[in-house]
Amino acid sequence: MSISKESREFIEDLRLYLISSGKNEKEIEEIAGELEDHLYEAEKDGKDINDIIGKTPREYMEQLANEMSFDFKGLLKFIPVTILGAISYILMGDALRGEMEYSLLDLIGYPFIFLFTLFLSATSFKYVASNEISKTKEWLIFWIVGSTPTVLFLAFIYWNENYDPVTYQVGTVGNVIAIVLSILIFIGISIWNKSWVFIIIPAILFLPQVLIEQTSLEENTKVILTGIFIPVCIMVYSLIVIRREK
Amino acid sequence: MSSSQILKGILEGCLLSIIAKGETYGYEIIGKLYNYGFTMVSEGSIYPLLLRMRKEGLVTTSQKNLPSGGPKRKYYSLTAKGRKELEAFKERWDEIAGCVNKLLEEEG
Repeated sequence: MSISKESREFIEDLRLYLISSGKNEKEIEEIAGELEDHLYEAEKDGKDINDIIGKTPREYMEQLANEMSFDFKGLLKFIPVTILGAISYILMGDALRGEMEYSLLDLIGYPFIFLFTLFLSATSFKYVASNEISKTKEWLIFWIVGSTPTVLFLAFIYWNENYDPVTYQVGTVGNVIAIVLSILIFIGISIWNKSWVFIIIPAILFLPQVLIEQTSLEENTKVILTGIFIPVCIMVYSLIVIRREK
Repeated sequence: MSSSQILKGILEGCLLSIIAKGETYGYEIIGKLYNYGFTMVSEGSIYPLLLRMRKEGLVTTSQKNLPSGGPKRKYYSLTAKGRKELEAFKERWDEIAGCVNKLLEEEG
């Protein structure tokens, strides 16, 4: 079943809009499929997307969203799992580097940054999906959203160093426990999600680092090797995934 | 007053009536509406309405395979509650239409 490029874009935007509005995934797929079916038939009869939605895309998406319930249960499952994943990721990195040292500000700051970024992403996705804006503006928005966590993390690190000297340190045993726990959580999420991504991505990010650390190379060479290895692995993995999807 | 404002409450009753005539899907519903002359209804506007009608339990949906293959198509049929709602709509409509017609006739 093939529909025009404009129609396909509208359906994709609608999906993004409804997902960012926290609607149920199954319901989203249902209405998207139904509209696709309609657009296909309508285009065969010589009509186009504007004849069908009859108003601006934004108004139409809003109208549909109003009739769909907020998927609280789905979100309740999604948010804790994602937070858990993000925390394990941070813990593992710190533990491998032997830098497990946290201030109270860290403990409050990390979850705050995470939730704020999540909220910001959802709002901007909704905006981009429902408004006809230029590609430049779209990229600018995604760039701002993408760099927000980094900027916030940097701000927190700065604030930490200057104003909050109280830290909780974790010893070697704590490091090992953190690594084992993180690995268990990655495996748990992968099983829950029925996807290898949560094992493969941490493996790519952490394994080369650990292996290279074991060698007797010079510090500089180690850093460069790690810097080359990680992007290359991610690229290879992305290529494999794209191949498979096709 | 635009037709869409007048139509707002009426369209749901019309959808009930069309679905009552037999199991049908979105594009067919809009085709039937147009055959009856409802060309002021934009095609997409039936979907938010159908979503609400399903939430209220007036219609049920089922996914069916097309004879031509390809993805499934969503069919609507009326529930017992929907049938009752259709009867109630008919009564209300007769009443309102009767009054409006009587009033407008006097003008001429």
